Amino acid sequence: MSTDLIIAVIITVVGASTPILIAALGELVVERAGVLNLGVEGMMLVGAITAFVIVFVTGNHYLAILMAAAAGVATSLIFGFLTLSLSANQTATGLALTIFGTGLSALAGQGYSAKPVTLLGPLFPGLAADPFWRVLFGYSALVYFALFMVVAIWYFLKRTRAGLILRAVGENDLSAHSIGYSVIGVRYMAVMFGGAMAGIAGACFPLLLTPQWAERMTAGRGWIAVALVVFASWRPFRLLAGAYLFGLVMTMELYAKAGGGPLSAIPSELWAALPYLATVVVLVLISIRRDASTNAPACLGKPFLPSN
Amino acid sequence: MPYRLELTGITKRFPGVLANDNVTFAVKPGEIHALLGENGAGKSTLVKMIYGIMQPDAGEIRWDGSPVTVANPKAARKLGIGMVFQHFSLFEALTVLENIALGMDSKIPSRQLEARIRAVMTQYGLLLDPHRTVATLSVGERQRIEIVRALLLEPKLLIMDEPTSVLTPQEVEQLFEVLRKLAAEGCSILYISHKLHEIKALCDTATILRGGKLVDTCDPKQETSRSMAEKMIGAGLKDIVRGEGRSLGQPKLVVSRLSTAKTGHFDVPVDNVSFTVRAGEIFGIAGVAGNGQNALLDALSGEVRSGDKDAITLDGFPLGLLDTTGRRKRGLCAVPEERNGHAAVGDFTLSDNSVLTARDRLGMVMLGLINSGAAKTYTGRVIADFAVKALGPASTAGSLSGGNLQKYIMGREILQKPSVLVVSQPTWGVDAGAAAAIHQALVDLAAAGSAIVVISQDLDELRALCDTLAVINMGHLSPARPTGEMSVEEIGLLMGGVHGQAEARDAVPA
Amino acid sequence: MQFRLEKRREPSQAMVYATPVAAVVLTMVVGAILFSLIGYDGVGAVREIFLTPLTNSFKWQDLGVKAAPLIIIGTGLSIAYRANVWNIGAEGQYIMGGLAATWVALATYGMTGWWILPLMLVAGVLGGAAYAAIPALLKTRLNVNEILTSLMLTYASVQLIYYLVRAPWKDPMGMGFPQTRIFSEAARLPTIIPTTIVHLGVPIAIVVALVAWFVMSRSVFGYQMKVVGAAPHAARYGGFSENKTIWLALLVSGGLAGMAGMLEVAGPFQRMVPGFPTNYGFTAIIVAFLGRLNPLGVIFAGIVMAITFVGGEVAQTSIGLSNSATGVFQAMMLFFLLAGDILIRYRIRRVAPQAAGVAP
Repeated sequence: MSTDLIIAVIITVVGASTPILIAALGELVVERAGVLNLGVEGMMLVGAITAFVIVFVTGNHYLAILMAAAAGVATSLIFGFLTLSLSANQTATGLALTIFGTGLSALAGQGYSAKPVTLLGPLFPGLAADPFWRVLFGYSALVYFALFMVVAIWYFLKRTRAGLILRAVGENDLSAHSIGYSVIGVRYMAVMFGGAMAGIAGACFPLLLTPQWAERMTAGRGWIAVALVVFASWRPFRLLAGAYLFGLVMTMELYAKAGGGPLSAIPSELWAALPYLATVVVLVLISIRRDASTNAPACLGKPFLPSN
Repeated sequence: MPYRLELTGITKRFPGVLANDNVTFAVKPGEIHALLGENGAGKSTLVKMIYGIMQPDAGEIRWDGSPVTVANPKAARKLGIGMVFQHFSLFEALTVLENIALGMDSKIPSRQLEARIRAVMTQYGLLLDPHRTVATLSVGERQRIEIVRALLLEPKLLIMDEPTSVLTPQEVEQLFEVLRKLAAEGCSILYISHKLHEIKALCDTATILRGGKLVDTCDPKQETSRSMAEKMIGAGLKDIVRGEGRSLGQPKLVVSRLSTAKTGHFDVPVDNVSFTVRAGEIFGIAGVAGNGQNALLDALSGEVRSGDKDAITLDGFPLGLLDTTGRRKRGLCAVPEERNGHAAVGDFTLSDNSVLTARDRLGMVMLGLINSGAAKTYTGRVIADFAVKALGPASTAGSLSGGNLQKYIMGREILQKPSVLVVSQPTWGVDAGAAAAIHQALVDLAAAGSAIVVISQDLDELRALCDTLAVINMGHLSPARPTGEMSVEEIGLLMGGVHGQAEARDAVPA
Repeated sequence: MQFRLEKRREPSQAMVYATPVAAVVLTMVVGAILFSLIGYDGVGAVREIFLTPLTNSFKWQDLGVKAAPLIIIGTGLSIAYRANVWNIGAEGQYIMGGLAATWVALATYGMTGWWILPLMLVAGVLGGAAYAAIPALLKTRLNVNEILTSLMLTYASVQLIYYLVRAPWKDPMGMGFPQTRIFSEAARLPTIIPTTIVHLGVPIAIVVALVAWFVMSRSVFGYQMKVVGAAPHAARYGGFSENKTIWLALLVSGGLAGMAGMLEVAGPFQRMVPGFPTNYGFTAIIVAFLGRLNPLGVIFAGIVMAITFVGGEVAQTSIGLSNSATGVFQAMMLFFLLAGDILIRYRIRRVAPQAAGVAP
């Protein structure tokens, strides 16, 4: 393989994995607070259509990202209200949120399907043109944002008091409550953060990958993000590795087709199914390793029901 | 000098219950003040109001002479009130240091906090390694974290909620030393308990609650245990009625070299446990929580099987490979410690809960279909015979109080006339009346020729109830001896085992 | 004035039945308002989606045909969810059932005989159950979350359809369209009411739900599902194996989804096409919840959902509302239902303003 090809591969992989990484980082924080929001896919779709419409109307990519985050927060608040304020079943509510986001985005996107927009350009246009340095500096702001958030979330959880409180709430909500922390308040913040990240992750689709709107264009990436959080045993840096691994799996068809040989005879449907099958395989591998589940927040998915 | 804490006319009402009714008492600086009462007397509700977790519906709280509103625990800590909970508010996956940091209201750099923690530990002899994960600590060590956390705030009043229920007698003595030292330094202590001998040994004053009302404030050193118990319970104490001249029969349940696999990270399995229970015998197993009691119960009930068919035999018949249903058909019934979610399903009706364990022994199933009429009739009998306060067989288990649910569960098993009954914590969190009824039912079942195993942390209960005693520690069972031949000190040493000293050595002093 | 939630002593049975009805009504009211606010004809949308399918008798046959798969899959899911087994890959099991039945239909192409349809039905059930066996195996052996595996397999199964109809199963006379040939007469589901499209699947759906209701309410099997779902620890104590229950829950729900797939491909479709996945498997999740995880309730919930599907199509042609509005209405219904759940265990009390409770 030539250097050029390797660089091309890296750039494709980083691009493809960025939305998964951003969504998974949000979900990681939500789950660390003890909440399981399975509505990531739905929030991503709402973010995607919001970003598309804003960029189509205004041409401003950063405004589009901001509004996608806001739309994600708004959607996540439905989940938050039902599960946190009304103690509704988190699994069912998350599923409902995905069904809702799918329908709402399709409804809002009606009439936008054949319209083109422009992708978000690289953050450093000068370096992006360099045939070598583009591998480090040729990406759009969303990619750097994702990387920054990996470090920021790691620091937040590990080193800050707020992060400690968030972990405590996810670990033992009743204790956190008895010490005097607002379990519901902390969880609302986490859910909203997860919503913002999912919205931005959704924005990646029209702004970073394919410059158009298509119904269900996130194609299950939100669910893969949820699986990645398990795969990463709730640790941000493992999430980074996992997301890039998935980016590689998702873009493998390109290299197989380009490389010729026996691989190019594999039907494209199998390549399309590969990320989903890989998710199953990854979940299997992670569960064979014993210690994986012990890192799960103890209160994950359970409603907070103080006795008094 | 004003009182440190003064409560006047405190009243708190819950739906259907008056938890505290016009309670008035006061605590002096440096006083160790007992709050005494049986389960459900309103002690916990009262201290939750002092600590700001709940607000009183009526009444006044005065702190150092001036009236205050304790809006939340943070406000309580600001006043100088510290609290050590009965059920620890600890985070298993976090370290000691992180746990303590969470309990501090202001942000303190972790190095500085660690230095302060080590200082407090040395001062009071509470040794712990700040960097250990809580999940790896024993119950006694966990309590030390709670105490250190409270002491770091330099409290003027320390509330201890049933602190000794999980400690060995030796650990209790260590705790008392710490508390006496604190009191000598001027810190008031509100000590909540229902253990009379502890209160006599430790406290200067005792306030007794019954049914939410204040019954008496007295000096425990002037009272006898019996006089305080009568104030606490109300009516005169009922003793267990045993049949005269009871003799034990043939060996019924024989457990030999029973071991279980380690399942979770922090579970204690049982290791090579052997004992024999004869017909008519009540066999007690003492021990501090978390020493393999749950594993032993699961292994006996059949929820976990060891793979050795002869490890457990009933009347010589090997049960080791049978599941719970197979063992029940053979006559071995069991009652686990956790009532809601293990021994019973809170969302199910009592009738459906009877199907859970009685369906085979009492023929409630035909051709794969459930005879709900039979379940209902049986449940009605349990409710009547065991005086369960429930609207009827259609009440959900979750709607019953702890004591009533326990009476129902015990009744459900006992009326199946098991030849062996294994029970864990039969009266944990149950009021005295229900406890007496349950004890009597167990004695009667034994008198009818069944073999009974009682696993409990309550030494008083075991000593009153059992013919024979053994102690479980880290999954090992001590040799069994007649109850009368074992002193409390001896049992205490066995409960602590070598374990208690080893942990003291391991802890890192500053 | 303040409101406070107060725990009920006993869960309210009345609320169990009242909240699904309230959810449907609230969805209509709030939906009309919301759709009006964002610039659609809200009242018209609600009328077309919820009422026209009922008032227009020409639409009744559509209701039956759309409700049948929803009821069959919803029944299976209601059993699985009772056991706390979260099979959300019913769509994939539906697809695999349809593919297995298609395989039989293609293998017997041109043959006649009464046995072909039953064979297809068996193949459909087995196909769905086999696909659900994968999450069951992974859950029981390795404790892999069944939500994620069943869903991932759904995405993979869609690709399998695309592949099969594009290459090996492609109709040689199909002018290049990616689809199989039309099944022969013996592999097509008969209509049971002449001149309508109501096929044999409709009465089958009702029978499936009724049988499931009897089994769930009266049998030890039903008790096992419920007790494992409500309190797994207690179930183990009562002698029920959690792993066995997970297997049963997934096999039954997968098998029923596969049955629905067979009935759909042999009934309305009569051939395998890329558009075979019509989201019945996902909508059935809402059906199961709206039916309160009770097979009798599932019949009604299935009909309600069928109304919104048929109504969505009506609204599309009559007032030009996108079909996806249906999904929004369905999700709203589920939101309201989940929000209403709290009323089963809690009652709302009006709390008088401060100090009223304090004695003077």
